[in-house]
Amino acid sequence: MIDKIFSNLTRFSALLILVIVAWIFVELYNQSLEAIHAFGFDFITQDEWAPNLEKFGAYSAIFGSVASTFLAMLFAIPIAIGVAIFLSEIAHDKIKGFFGVSVELLAAIPSVIYGMWGLFYFVPIIRDIFGGMGIGLLSAGIVLSIMILPFMAAVTRDAMNTTPDILKESAYALGGTQWDVIKDVIIPYARAGIIGSIILALGRAIGETMAVTFVMGNVHHTPQHITDPATSIPVTLANEFAEADSSLYFSSLFELALTLLVMSFVVIAIAKFYFLRKERRGV
Amino acid sequence: MASIIDIKDECALHVRDFEFTYKGAAAPSLKKVTMPIAKHSITALIGPSGCGKTTLLRSFNRMHDLYPGNTYAGEIEFEGRNILGAKEDLIHLRTKIGMIFQKPTAFPMSIFDNVAYGMRLQGIKNKTELNDRVEKALKDAAIWKEVSDRLKHDANGLSGGQQQRLCIARAIAVEPEVLLFDEPTSALDPISTQGIEKLVIELKERVSIIIVTHNMQQAARVSDYTGFMYLGELIELGHTEELFVTPKEKLTQEYITGKFG
Amino acid sequence: MTAVQKRVLVNKIILALSTLSAVIAIAFLFWILTVLVMKGVGAFNWNIFIYEGSPPGYPESGLKHALVGQAILVGLATLIGVPLGILAGTYLSEYGKNSKLAHFIRDISDIMMSAPSIVIGAFVYAVVVMPMGHFSAWAGAIALAIIMIPIILRTTDDMLNLVPGTLREAAFALGAPKYKVIMDVVYRGAKAGILTGVLLGIARVGGETAPLLFTSFNDNFFTTDLNDAMPSLTVTMFNYAISPYQDWQQLGWAAAFILSMFILGLNIVGRLILFAGKRK
Repeated sequence: MIDKIFSNLTRFSALLILVIVAWIFVELYNQSLEAIHAFGFDFITQDEWAPNLEKFGAYSAIFGSVASTFLAMLFAIPIAIGVAIFLSEIAHDKIKGFFGVSVELLAAIPSVIYGMWGLFYFVPIIRDIFGGMGIGLLSAGIVLSIMILPFMAAVTRDAMNTTPDILKESAYALGGTQWDVIKDVIIPYARAGIIGSIILALGRAIGETMAVTFVMGNVHHTPQHITDPATSIPVTLANEFAEADSSLYFSSLFELALTLLVMSFVVIAIAKFYFLRKERRGV
Repeated sequence: MASIIDIKDECALHVRDFEFTYKGAAAPSLKKVTMPIAKHSITALIGPSGCGKTTLLRSFNRMHDLYPGNTYAGEIEFEGRNILGAKEDLIHLRTKIGMIFQKPTAFPMSIFDNVAYGMRLQGIKNKTELNDRVEKALKDAAIWKEVSDRLKHDANGLSGGQQQRLCIARAIAVEPEVLLFDEPTSALDPISTQGIEKLVIELKERVSIIIVTHNMQQAARVSDYTGFMYLGELIELGHTEELFVTPKEKLTQEYITGKFG
Repeated sequence: MTAVQKRVLVNKIILALSTLSAVIAIAFLFWILTVLVMKGVGAFNWNIFIYEGSPPGYPESGLKHALVGQAILVGLATLIGVPLGILAGTYLSEYGKNSKLAHFIRDISDIMMSAPSIVIGAFVYAVVVMPMGHFSAWAGAIALAIIMIPIILRTTDDMLNLVPGTLREAAFALGAPKYKVIMDVVYRGAKAGILTGVLLGIARVGGETAPLLFTSFNDNFFTTDLNDAMPSLTVTMFNYAISPYQDWQQLGWAAAFILSMFILGLNIVGRLILFAGKRK
């Protein structure tokens, strides 16, 4: 009797996850319907976002999301791979332990703090170098890259560490240098894991809100220059959701949220199912 | 006291008063090992697990240097110099002293690229030369017939025994003077094991071989000399048939008759 | 230069570059930490715990409202998320095991773990805030709980799996029903791991801002009314930081410092518990 109740309770809780996920998609879709009917495909191709005119085109926000994520990846990937190589192949045990733990703890720092730091300390530097406001696509990309770096480096290092020692040793035994072993053995061996880790980090970066909200500008124009202020989907949601005043405005914001969810879901699913099939990776 | 045979023939390597200590360990794992390794013959190292035989083997190509903090003392003479010196060029040393591991270690690349790998590291780019030497190495490793029609295939598609022979081909392709075998058949089935043993015997015409094995029968079957190690010391080194039939040391006798180990 | 010399040179360059990238990464992160500590400690005083929010310019202003609000929100989310997560993880490990359904649930929950948290906020806005007609602590806590469940589920599943099957069999052999075996043997065996998962889950949602922006919203005053908008450290930090007032910005840094210490502390304690558990 109790046995039955308990097992059903666990089954119910597990199924609840699926229900919530399905519900999120359905609810966001339902809430988006008004905007979908009003704008159709124009929603993602038009960049005019004018709440007072009841015109909502998400192109600039989608562009900003993609562009800031792309910039973040551009900066973060080489550094993260460098850090991963350093941690798995160069650093001595003590440094490895110290770096390893700090990298993991830094990955736990709330992203809002990266955003605050970016606004008060990084934006002024960009402003001094490039002129203008300092707030914009470039700042957002760099702050995002710094935020995602610890996570990316940690998972890339984990992927590299799956290479068996004996395989590395046999390349050394043929007279290979560390770099020979890295490029000919470790990277080919762990390729799927490394790519998967990087895509997983990308999936996180694209949905990141707080690290970029401070430094992007929330300007609904497609930026012409890399230092121009811009917006992204999460930035738009963060700034405008609580202020929306018409049902079409709300509906458009929900459609933005749905777009973001689909984008990140697809990216994360690719990382998980295509590249990280065997392993299951942590928080 | 240890009983070490004096080898009259030319020696490939000479170990003298060699000591090795792992990082952070209080006592050395190898104690005052002195041992000649005869040229163009097979020397087997036997002994219970933890006796230091693999540790000794991995000292010959300075594999321990991959993990910082390990220390050597004494001397290993190779080609007229002590290879334990700080200035020793490890890349050069490792092309002269090759190694085969407990498990097949095919790299994640094609069969051809696996065998060509060591040569490419040395800067050989000429296609005909690479082709010729890959073919020769595969023939010498007795695997050419099985793979000649699929050289571009991924090496991980081969069976365990084939992969191990591929690794041997890869090691001999760079024409080393010495080959180190670290329990090369421990992951293989009996038939593949037979093939590898036959190959090892054939190879001694061209290289000097040191083989670590946990299997006394294997040592008896393939080797010319056998060294018995116990607790980090070389207890006895002798001609294989003598060591197994009339061991000079009591410990050796107890080990080969199965009293411990 | 011979081919080998060239390789040795390339190797040195690459190793230097990757060491450099490690130095760059650590330098940036150290910079952020230094700013956090300097600004945080500079802005820290005991008034923070005594006073609630005030208009800019008042000396008697603090973070009491946000600290209490944060504790209520995270506490409520923990109360909702932890039991559900543990039960769901129990299902996967003890009942579903390798069934297709169990794997599907694992995959979906893994994806949810990386899904944008602001989208969860939008969802909760639609299903809680809109029907209620106003922002509420409940809405914020539900959003955080949804983020927390996959984390708890995942660690519970993993940790229960580490409990050896023979232990279960031994308990079954004594005639215990399955729920008793799970409660008395499996949970007990995986206690440290589950606790670590819970602490890491709390740490993760404790730092969330985005899903609270339009669920629990914010309030500059002290409240314990769960049916009303509720301040949190993170949203307060955000609002204060983007305000033009220096004293508010100061409080923002103090909040950032307190929150980071709390989250780092949870992470460290969680890891220590797991480490101590493994030792035994």
